[in-house]
Amino acid sequence: MENIVQTFGKTVQDVCDKNPERARKLLRIGYHAQSLRYRVQRGKMHSAAQLAALYTNRAMVAPLDHPDDAVIVSLFTPCEMLHVLGLHPFCSEGLGCYLSGACAEQSFLKYAESEGLPETFCSYHKAFIGASECGLMPKPRFIISTTLACDANTLTFRRLAEHFDVPHFVIDVPYEQDEDAVRYVADQLVRMKAFIEEHTGKSIDESALIKRCRLSQQSMDNFQRYMDLRADKQILGAISGEMYSAFMFHNLLGTEESLRYTEECLKVVEKAPAASGIRLLWMHTNPFWVKQLTDVTDFNPAVQIVGCDMCYEGFIHADPEKPYDFMARRLIFSAYNGPISRRVDRGIEEAQRLAADGVVWFCHWGCKHTLGGAQLAKRHFEEAGIPCLILDGDGCDRSHGGEGQLSTRIEAFIEMLEKEKEAAQA
Amino acid sequence: MSVTHYICKYTPIELLAAFGGECKILNYMPDNFELSDQVSHANICGFGKALLEAVMEGQVKELVLVNCCDTIRSVYDVLQEEGNLDFLFMMDLLHAQGACSRERAAYELKRLAKAYGAYKGTAFDMDKFRAAFTDNPRPSAPYISVLGGRVGDSLFEMMKKSMPLPVRNDTCVHNRAVAAPDPALDFEATMEWYASALMTQIPCMRMSDVTGRKQLYNDPHLKAVIYHTVKFCDYYGFEYSELRKQLTVPLLKIESDYTIQSGGQLLTRLEAFAESIAPNDTIRKGTHKTMNGKGLYAGIDSGSTSTDVVILDKDKNIIAQTILPTGAGAAAGADRALDAALDQAGLARDDITATVTTGYGRTAIKLGDQSITEITCHAKGAYFLDPTVRTIIDIGGQDSKVIRLDDNGNVANFVMNDKCAAGTGRFLELMARTLELSLDEMSTLGLDWKEEVTISSMCTVFAESEVVSLIAENRTPADIIHGLNHSVASKTTALCRRVGGRENYMMTGGVSKNRGVVKEIEDMLGVKLHISDKAQLNGALGAALFALEM
Repeated sequence: MENIVQTFGKTVQDVCDKNPERARKLLRIGYHAQSLRYRVQRGKMHSAAQLAALYTNRAMVAPLDHPDDAVIVSLFTPCEMLHVLGLHPFCSEGLGCYLSGACAEQSFLKYAESEGLPETFCSYHKAFIGASECGLMPKPRFIISTTLACDANTLTFRRLAEHFDVPHFVIDVPYEQDEDAVRYVADQLVRMKAFIEEHTGKSIDESALIKRCRLSQQSMDNFQRYMDLRADKQILGAISGEMYSAFMFHNLLGTEESLRYTEECLKVVEKAPAASGIRLLWMHTNPFWVKQLTDVTDFNPAVQIVGCDMCYEGFIHADPEKPYDFMARRLIFSAYNGPISRRVDRGIEEAQRLAADGVVWFCHWGCKHTLGGAQLAKRHFEEAGIPCLILDGDGCDRSHGGEGQLSTRIEAFIEMLEKEKEAAQA
Repeated sequence: MSVTHYICKYTPIELLAAFGGECKILNYMPDNFELSDQVSHANICGFGKALLEAVMEGQVKELVLVNCCDTIRSVYDVLQEEGNLDFLFMMDLLHAQGACSRERAAYELKRLAKAYGAYKGTAFDMDKFRAAFTDNPRPSAPYISVLGGRVGDSLFEMMKKSMPLPVRNDTCVHNRAVAAPDPALDFEATMEWYASALMTQIPCMRMSDVTGRKQLYNDPHLKAVIYHTVKFCDYYGFEYSELRKQLTVPLLKIESDYTIQSGGQLLTRLEAFAESIAPNDTIRKGTHKTMNGKGLYAGIDSGSTSTDVVILDKDKNIIAQTILPTGAGAAAGADRALDAALDQAGLARDDITATVTTGYGRTAIKLGDQSITEITCHAKGAYFLDPTVRTIIDIGGQDSKVIRLDDNGNVANFVMNDKCAAGTGRFLELMARTLELSLDEMSTLGLDWKEEVTISSMCTVFAESEVVSLIAENRTPADIIHGLNHSVASKTTALCRRVGGRENYMMTGGVSKNRGVVKEIEDMLGVKLHISDKAQLNGALGAALFALEM
């Protein structure tokens, strides 16, 4: 299978050189085939993971199938309004991730670099820029991005708006978590509604929007409940499943699919056997393509990833009847907004909720805030009695290498946690 | 009196002055990041690390930050716990410049005023506030601008020394310009006005709307731009990427990691840029007639691997040429190579009328009349060998560069690899050692490859472990070498794209002898590379030609 994917990825890149539209068609065929596979063949995945993979896959290919209804967004853009109008959010981080999953990221990364973009820039964003500027990605209707959670958001979407020559709306997110900040963002979301209406010629029905926000709150509540129940359950999965899950709580939040996924999660956890093995909370994105890592983390009763902060960072309890305030709170009270302590404190809370034995703080190349706060995070997790491994790598770009070092570190960390667990049980 | 340091142009320094504060920009370039790496991560922006280093060394006691970027957000997080500062404040600045964000900025100004006033034990003084505003007028005469990410003090000094025109620092914090306020306003109204004045400066790249930055480069007095980026700061690479297509004045891109050492390594690029924009001011010509000797001219190219010498007669005929290993010292290597060339032609040192040195060891060599960068010399040599050449690919032992020439053979643009072995001769040498092959074998073996092998790591160390794994998987040396050649070629063609390479292409430097790499580059660029039998002597030949013109 790995060889088929590699050949597919290489073909997409080679074809894109000469005929980007053909390459896009090829990519669509590949992703449709993958959707079909997820629909009929679960493999080792549990039923909820299967749904997440299927729904994400469909959401990735929809903008390629229907570019006229595609809207480029950042991962953190609230998409409820787009779903009301049946538009397809086109997430740069998600597509960057998908290109990497199809082994098709390298030539787009190199293209972006040869255009003068920094080698140190986030590889998800860089792959998406390269793929857009090479013609692989279609022109969207418009772009909506947020300044949360990193600098790359400001840079990527501004450049893409210029490249595609399409309107761009930016949601500016203040650092402080106060009611003024919520109002500031909510006001922008009201303007975002007008922006979408202006550029689609359709009006967004307020009651339909409230319904979408209710779906969002319900999905978050379900998943929170799932995390509570997961504390003493063993659920085997793949590390890539965390990325699918993260997508369910971002660009697909507010859809029936997201709700069905969380309902299925609750069914899975009910039937799951009692917890066993080492349980890890994963912080940030992950290099799901590193075989040495997935040998350890995937479908392994001895080691499981029990949660990922990319999924829960925006979870809130708010009033969906006030949709703009509701969506604004997700951004303002995101664990990724502001100082690193918010992410760490939330991580400690969730690690305890999930009964995690340890935390992996993944320093994705180019993600300066995750990198800059790594030492502080490690210290604070450890002060809370939760061992923490700082793991350097790249979630997207294979050329950064270092798989051997990554595997040694994760395995040594697991051995350490096993020893500690044995000692505690003795 | 204690100094309050700041780093960002949006910092309300006039407000701090109103409380009796003395403000200073922090632009420190440390020797290394030993202390910073202990409390943070090696891969955050170099300036952020320099800032941490300065505080951890105890140089800073009062610091006012703005949440400029992810790195500074992190630096603030770290300093709150590790900084041991007397006063630390970070102001939240939004990305939009509309009325609502100005309102939040005014709120932040009042928050800072309260905290700083309490720390200093002083009250806001409107007269001091107004007196603190200073002008920062745009130049009214020809100048070279440094744009992009902030430059450290010592690197900026180096720029000023190496450029033929006055150099203006328009990077980051240095293009700060805030007009003075209306005296009739009270404190509350003044803060609202001040928030607006701060936020409507020429925007930095973190702001949502950056169209106002055009003022920095749409200036009739601007004659050239040095575009500086800081390693691991991503903001300005995006602007550079646009400017390389838009600017009509010469543009040099350089990157530093904010250490003193990184500055030193950039000197060659700065000097080559100065030579290309003002050759008459930087390269002496027409002076040899007063010199002694027999009308013979020497060029010495002191490279990291070999030192090459060419001696020309007045009709530009090569009468001697040598290539010797550089050895431990550039100066001794140059002496040996020059003596060998003189022996070859039966000459003595006094017979030489003028000598020009080039190459990375050029300044360490005492024997030259002038030293000129290898970029300018390579251009000169290549154009002499073949006047149809417009792009030169030079891959040597420790660096690779691509030089684009104009129709008169002058340097129009150039790029060099960063301080990294990937894509250089050293990368291939290391891989040859791992494969237990000679460089000659490496040169041809990869031409007979059967199966495609991808060496994905750009890092030399990681690529070496990939090669070891491929050997373990019983991949043939031919396939592995082809993968390595492809990796070098891919780095090189990316440099060609950056510089806007166009035909005809010439390849020089030691790696031009590697047939496998040459073929890969040709395939990827879709052009034929011209390789002269003088390819390795190209730099020395260019230097000798300059000696003749002195």
